This record gives sequence, C-alpha cells and structure tokens, in this order.
Amino acid sequence: MGQAASGVAGRGASPLRLALPLTLFSVLFFVAPLLLLGMVSLFDDTQMTRMGLAQWHKLLGDAFTWRVLGSTLWLGVKVTALCLVIGFALAWAFVRCPRWLQTALIVVIVLPLLTSVVVRTFAWIVILGRQGIVNSVLAAVGWIDAPLKLLYTDGGLVVALANVQLPLMTLPLITALQKLDPNLQDASAALGAGAWTTFRRVTVPLALPGILAGCLLTYAAAITAFITQSLVGGGQMLFMPMYLYQQASTLQNWPYAAAISILFLVAVLLCVSLFNALGRLSRGLAPA
Amino acid sequence: MPNRRDALSAALTLGALQLFPALSHAQARRLVFATFTGSWEEAHRDVLVPHFRRNNNNAEMTLDPLLSVDQIAKVTAARNAPPIDVMLHDPGPALVAIGQDLVDPFPVASSKHYKDLIAEAQDPMGPAIFFQAVGLTYNPEKIKTPPTSWADLWKPEYKGRVGITNLNSTLGTGWLVEVSKMRGGSESNVEPGFKAIQELKPSLAAVAANPGALATLFQQGQIDISPGNFNAIQILKARGVPVEFVKPKEGTIAFKTTAHVVKNSPNKALAAALIESAMSPEVQSRLMKSPYLIVPTNTKVAMEGDIQKVLARDHADLKKSFVFQDWKKINEQRASWIERFNREIRV
Repeated sequence: MGQAASGVAGRGASPLRLALPLTLFSVLFFVAPLLLLGMVSLFDDTQMTRMGLAQWHKLLGDAFTWRVLGSTLWLGVKVTALCLVIGFALAWAFVRCPRWLQTALIVVIVLPLLTSVVVRTFAWIVILGRQGIVNSVLAAVGWIDAPLKLLYTDGGLVVALANVQLPLMTLPLITALQKLDPNLQDASAALGAGAWTTFRRVTVPLALPGILAGCLLTYAAAITAFITQSLVGGGQMLFMPMYLYQQASTLQNWPYAAAISILFLVAVLLCVSLFNALGRLSRGLAPA
Repeated sequence: MPNRRDALSAALTLGALQLFPALSHAQARRLVFATFTGSWEEAHRDVLVPHFRRNNNNAEMTLDPLLSVDQIAKVTAARNAPPIDVMLHDPGPALVAIGQDLVDPFPVASSKHYKDLIAEAQDPMGPAIFFQAVGLTYNPEKIKTPPTSWADLWKPEYKGRVGITNLNSTLGTGWLVEVSKMRGGSESNVEPGFKAIQELKPSLAAVAANPGALATLFQQGQIDISPGNFNAIQILKARGVPVEFVKPKEGTIAFKTTAHVVKNSPNKALAAALIESAMSPEVQSRLMKSPYLIVPTNTKVAMEGDIQKVLARDHADLKKSFVFQDWKKINEQRASWIERFNREIRV
C-alpha cells in the first residue's frame, strides 16, 4: 500500500488530497446535519425561537426516557443473543457442508436480505397472528385450546427481529469459521481435548472477531428497526425509534425529538465502543 | 479531445442536477399536490388530476403522497421555496399548518364551487374537499349481532378480540375524545376516556401503531372488532375480507380533510385551480362511486351507493349523524395525551 501511495504522490497528488472528496462529502452530509441536530435540540419551544436547555432538562430528568432507552437497548441484547445462537449453528453447519449444499445454503441465508423488511415483517404477522401458523399448528396438535397471544408481545417481537436480522450475524460468522484451520481442531483432539473443550478453547476464541462483528451489526440493526418494532411490537410497546418519530412527526416537536435522537445516538455509540473494546481484548485472547 | 478530468466533472455536475432537481428548476416547476398515500393517491390520480388538467390547459402536475405530518415537516424545512404547492390535511395537522403560518388563504371570492360546500367544509384557510368517517368495524363471520354503540367494545364476549390504535393518528385521538364524551368528558377533558381504555385493556388483542395496521389485523383474524375508517374498511371488503362498517348510535366521527395553498408557492394560481377542481361536483360525484367511496363535501352532489346505504342518506342526514370534533381544543393538549398514553397503556 505504501508503494501505491508513493506512486500516486510521485505524480503530484498527495494521499491527503485524494482523501479530500470523501472528507468533504462526510462533512457536508454527515457532520453538518449532526451539528444542526445539536443546534435544534437547544431550543426551548417548538417554533424554535428561544434558545435554552429545557428539552435536555425534560428528557434527562424523566425516568420514562431512561425506561424507554433501557428497554430498547435490552431488546437489542435479546435479539443479538438469539441471533448468535441460531447464526452460529447455521454458520457451523455451513462450513461443514459439501460444496454443492453450501451453494444452496448461501442462497437461503442471503435471501432475506433480498426481500424488503416490510414484506418480511408482514410474514411474521401472518405467522404470529391469532389464526396464524403457530397457533393453528399448536391447536391441531391439541396443545392449546384457545389461541395464544403472540403478536404484539415481547417474545414475538424478539423472534421476528432475530429472523429479520439473522443474515447480518450469519455472514460474518461464516467468514470467520471458514478461515479457521481445521488442523487446529484435529490437533486439539489429538492432544486429548473433548469436542466441547475444543469448541470452547479453540473454535470460539478464533471465531471471536466474526462473533463480535456479527453482534455489532445485529445489535445496531435491531435497536433501530423502526418498521419491525412498530408492526410486530404494536402501539403498546415504545422503543426509541417510535418515540423519536412520535415527537418529530406527530407532535412536530423538533427540539425534543432532536434531543431524543442525540441521546439515542450517544447510547448506541457507547454500546458500539464497548463491543470494540471487547474486540481488542479478544485479539489478546486468540492464540495466534 | 476532452480529458478525463473534464469528463468526470461534467458527469458529476449532471449527476448533481439529477439528485437535486430543484437546482435546475428553482424558478419554474410543475404543480405539486401532496395527497395521502394508498387509495387516496389512486383516487386523485384517476379522477382529480385528469379533471384539473382538462380545465387548465393541460398543465403538468405531480402527486407527492405523504402523511399530513410529513407534509408539514417537508414544507417547514423549506419555508421560502416549498417543494409542495397544495397540502392535504386532517383537522389536527391543518390547524398546526395554519398556526405555523405555512398556508395562504384560498381565494374564496373568485371561486365557483366554494359557496356550494357544506357549512362545516367552508374555511377560507383551506376548504374541505372530502370527509373521512370513523365508525365501528367488525368481522360478521365472528360477530353475529352487529354492534350499535362505542360502548359495545367493552362487552365481555369480545375479550381478547378488540383492536384500537395509539394516539399518533387522527383516528386514535378522535376516538379517545369520542369515548371521553360518551362518558361525560369533552375535547378538553379526556380523563374518562383514559379510564375507559384502562378498563378495555383485558379485551385488547392489539394496540396498533397506525390505523393501516388495523386492516392487516382484521385480515389475519387477530382482531374482530375495532374503530375503523370507512374508506379503509371498504377497500378490505372489496378484497374479500369479511368486515362490515356500522355507524354507532353516538354518531360517526367525521374528519374534514382540507386542501391548502402553501405559502410562498410559485404556482399559486394553479394551486387554487386544483382545489377548485377537487371541490367541483363532477370530481366529487365520481369519487363517491365505487371503488373510491369518498364522502363528498359539495351539496350539489347527491348521496349514492354505499355511502348512501351505510353513512348518510342525504346531506341533512349527514349533518345529523356526523360528529365534528373541536380540533383546536384537542391540539392544545394532544401532546400531553400522547405522553400519557405512552406511559399508561404500555404492556
């Protein structure tokens, strides 16, 4: 890379200048709007005439805000955990499949990404409804007399979100597991380690970068999934994206909405840096 | 021969013009009407747009389907060069738009049809071009005796089968006010309504995040009875879903849907002409027929078909059975109601 850069520099363009368009683009379309958002949150009234910290006082001093934020972040944890279990099993199976089956499997894994989130979410309404597939099967088997309420419940939402976000977990895991040298597992077995010990002490540490990348993607996507949260979660569950929409759109209270979105952004950034810190830690863990 | 750099910058400029058409059409652009999404857009594209163009030298126009609140956001973001010329609003957002000085008065004096509108539809800041009606919706396959009153939602036999929406929508808020009135409250006192929803909790199969979701829930058998928008229900019915609409004895909740000329619009004359078209008996009588079934506001249009059968026999009947709420009063406290709903109706 150093060579390529110096080659270009030799023709009179420094790497810094080459980075300029992208920098300008980010400043113009990312940093500037973010600053604008910060500005908007500093107005006391919805007409944006008086500056002040009233929105922040109201937001941060309200236990309700923290409850909504907490339940949103907790929802992400549950979805990510479920995705990790299913995704790992799927990725594990994938790398051990014969090649022809892998081709079929990858189509199945990627297919959800090619369908709109709205369509996938609607499918879950059909599955979880009172006369949905789950309730019909349970009733036919005779396990239940009256249909269970699955739609608009916490459990239903976690399952639906996990399905919608699953490819984001599975794909990094497949990459990580494919890079894993099978000799290492054989060596572990030859040295007397059982299957579980090998999995715990060899496979997982080596796959950790993939696990972390998958968790990060799934987590970020799950807590911000406005469509799935509102369609499968319903109007009785309030998460940060809906709270934000309600204030910005229905109530046209932009300053309060701006404050909410900044708080949410900061909370998500904190979670992401936590994951990154874990990632750095994991590099020390993996026996290179 | 042009070098690569020139070609690239030319391509970028063209691309930018494509991305931001406003750059090239800042002075003159075609008329933009922000209608509602879904069936409303369909109805306006099929009937209103052709009528407008026929009567205005074939003037070009564009439909930009958006929810009321999103229209306000879009216009607020560019007050001096609004990307929309005519906004369409539910009563709550209409008052917000007027209050925020986003609309110009409609030129009533030069209008041919304005004086023919029902009194409730006449408002110089934005005449109503149709009404929306909210009544009881139920699944006739599951509920054999049709409900007759809002109070029926609380009947024990509907336990676990009732659907409502939260207060984000006009329907949700309007329904809360109506239930409050039924129990002694008013547009400024929804205490009884909140108490009533608390009592309804065991019966609730769903609190939808928007009225559109209610339709899906009927289709999936998740709910069997709910408050519903007449037009949304007619669409479901036409698709073969077993649903019926009845007007409750307390009256049909009516929302006037108003069209507004946007302030600073570069197409003011055409904007007024479009609203004129939308008020005309030709457009309104066509829109009243199947499949649109849109309730007319022009007294020259005689009630017909399903609207006559289900909603109002004639204009006198409409006046008697439609309940228009005081959205000025509702807007004063709506934010605090939404906040309260967030806190109290959570699962």
